[in-house]
Amino acid sequence: MIQLSLHKQLHTAKGTISLDIELALEPGQFVTLYGESGAGKTSTLRMLAGLLSPDHGKIKVNENVWLDTDAKINRKPQKRKIGFVFQDYALFPNMTVRENLEYALTKNQDTDIIDELIAIVALGELQYQKPDRLSGGQQQRVALARALVQRPEILLLDEPLSALDTKMRIALQDYILKLHKQYNLTTILVSHNIGEILKLSDTVYILENGSITKSGTPTAIFTSHQMSAKFRFTGEVIAIQPEDVVYMVTVLIGTNVVKIIAQESEIQDLTIGDTVVVASKAFNPVIQKVL
Amino acid sequence: MNTLQGQISNIEVNGSLALITTKVNGIPFTAIVIETPETASYLKLGNTIKVLFKETEVIIATGDVSGISLQNRITGTIIQLEKGTLLSKITLGTTVGNITSVITTNAVEQLGIETNTSVTAMIKTNEILLSQ
Amino acid sequence: MMNWEPLILTFKLAIITTAILFVLGIPLAYWLAYSKSKIKPVIETLVSMPLVLPPTVLGFYLLVAFSPNNAFGNWINEWLGLRLIFSFEGLVIASILYSLPFMVQPIQAGLAGLPSNYKEASYVLGKSKFITLLKVLLPNIKPALLTGIVLSFAHTIGEFGVVLMIGGNIPGETKVASIAIYDEVEALNYDTANMYSLILLVITFSILLTVYLINGGYLKKYGR
Repeated sequence: MIQLSLHKQLHTAKGTISLDIELALEPGQFVTLYGESGAGKTSTLRMLAGLLSPDHGKIKVNENVWLDTDAKINRKPQKRKIGFVFQDYALFPNMTVRENLEYALTKNQDTDIIDELIAIVALGELQYQKPDRLSGGQQQRVALARALVQRPEILLLDEPLSALDTKMRIALQDYILKLHKQYNLTTILVSHNIGEILKLSDTVYILENGSITKSGTPTAIFTSHQMSAKFRFTGEVIAIQPEDVVYMVTVLIGTNVVKIIAQESEIQDLTIGDTVVVASKAFNPVIQKVL
Repeated sequence: MNTLQGQISNIEVNGSLALITTKVNGIPFTAIVIETPETASYLKLGNTIKVLFKETEVIIATGDVSGISLQNRITGTIIQLEKGTLLSKITLGTTVGNITSVITTNAVEQLGIETNTSVTAMIKTNEILLSQ
Repeated sequence: MMNWEPLILTFKLAIITTAILFVLGIPLAYWLAYSKSKIKPVIETLVSMPLVLPPTVLGFYLLVAFSPNNAFGNWINEWLGLRLIFSFEGLVIASILYSLPFMVQPIQAGLAGLPSNYKEASYVLGKSKFITLLKVLLPNIKPALLTGIVLSFAHTIGEFGVVLMIGGNIPGETKVASIAIYDEVEALNYDTANMYSLILLVITFSILLTVYLINGGYLKKYGR
């Protein structure tokens, strides 16, 4: 059980906002903080990691108090046993992939974990390379693996995939899910990407101006209403073109491009780049084994 | 997407499937869904829900329609007909409001329909979506 | 004839000064790079003073401070048995103060230029500030460290005013090459002066060239 209660005046590009966060997370959950930039998502993550101090607050993880401003308790980041993955990876350029992971080892820790993690994120062939020789996706895999060397129970991901292209992002999402399950992590993700959130998280918290305004399952939050359609995917509109008396909308779902016929009234408030739900009755699609 | 609003008047459940009848202005629309009142809270007798179906799934018939399996049917008058090269868009005025249908232009010509023609619109049970 | 002693003394002074500056400069640069303290601008100003002050001013105040005739100089003299004026030890201390910005500024700029998340990533991995500095920060600012070392070394070799004020001209103790050159010119021994000058010129040129070759444009960025 992770209980957070954080209050801080944040000075952002848009002015001062007052961050007020109350959260209680069950172990093993995959949780996403969603909101506009400057809403306080990253600050919340940094306060949980101990990289930023709240003006006032409390953090309790299981039975351990990490922070209690009233009791003047504030554990240093070094003492919080957390895995943190930064948006721009933060790999140490002076160390190879393997050395980056080895640096994370605690004293007397069994080094088997290094090989195990390198195998999971499929970096065996690149383990003796320096990070600057790696692609963005590979670097983020290293950062993920490094964050897990100390076997933390909590993994914090600060927009880890935002710098990657779609294909890379999908692949990384699979790695994140795999690691989340394999190591029984409680994972907190900061993300802007609705498709990503729908795919990864159990619960999503919407942050607006420093406060949680909504929470629930991603489907309940991001699809405006419940629908009986079982054949349903979230994607991004990449093209809208008129065809005869109807319109053809092209939607990117994961790495697949699909096309949907729509009426003029349906495309009126759609623009390229919008996230949409594509749905159909489960009765309509045909299924065929791939040989 | 054609959107009508009505009240659930009947629910028949078998396993994880359910046949839901919704009365829209007195006209019944039945939908088969992979949901039951247990899995979807909005499936409750008397609940107001939306009945959705795509324009391309609306079948248009003229004359006698007695020997056809389709359960969902409503009569109306064509109030607008927009002919394209391959496809045509038909807007019907009915007692439940306007319903739009997209069928081939060939079919429009074969049926000989035009504005003010009375027709029956039909939708297959498995093409109807329900939504809160 | 040319005497090698001033040259040897010069390099001995430069090596000792640079070594001490390196050890002192890193923590000072670290503090300046990361501290949010209110007195930071004052310390920064003090460190940079030798850049703008005539060396004779620094030399003069050091002479006054170190003189056994006043309290501080007297205290050092009595308690540490050190006489800092007209001695090699005094010269080392003066050189350290005089070359301080040349060591501190490149390292400070190097540290400040590193992404802050290197430090944070290391802390989250449970590593102390000291380990982080040693294993993550310093290895990633090697060009800045090299720049600091070389600039301090070269600057110490070239100093004159401070040495003259506080060190005087004692052969084997405080008579470094720059003083020796001045002496020879005074005595109209242009050939000997030229020998000293040429040796200094060639050595410093080679050192700086080597660094430029290794560092690329780095020195230009942080050297002044």
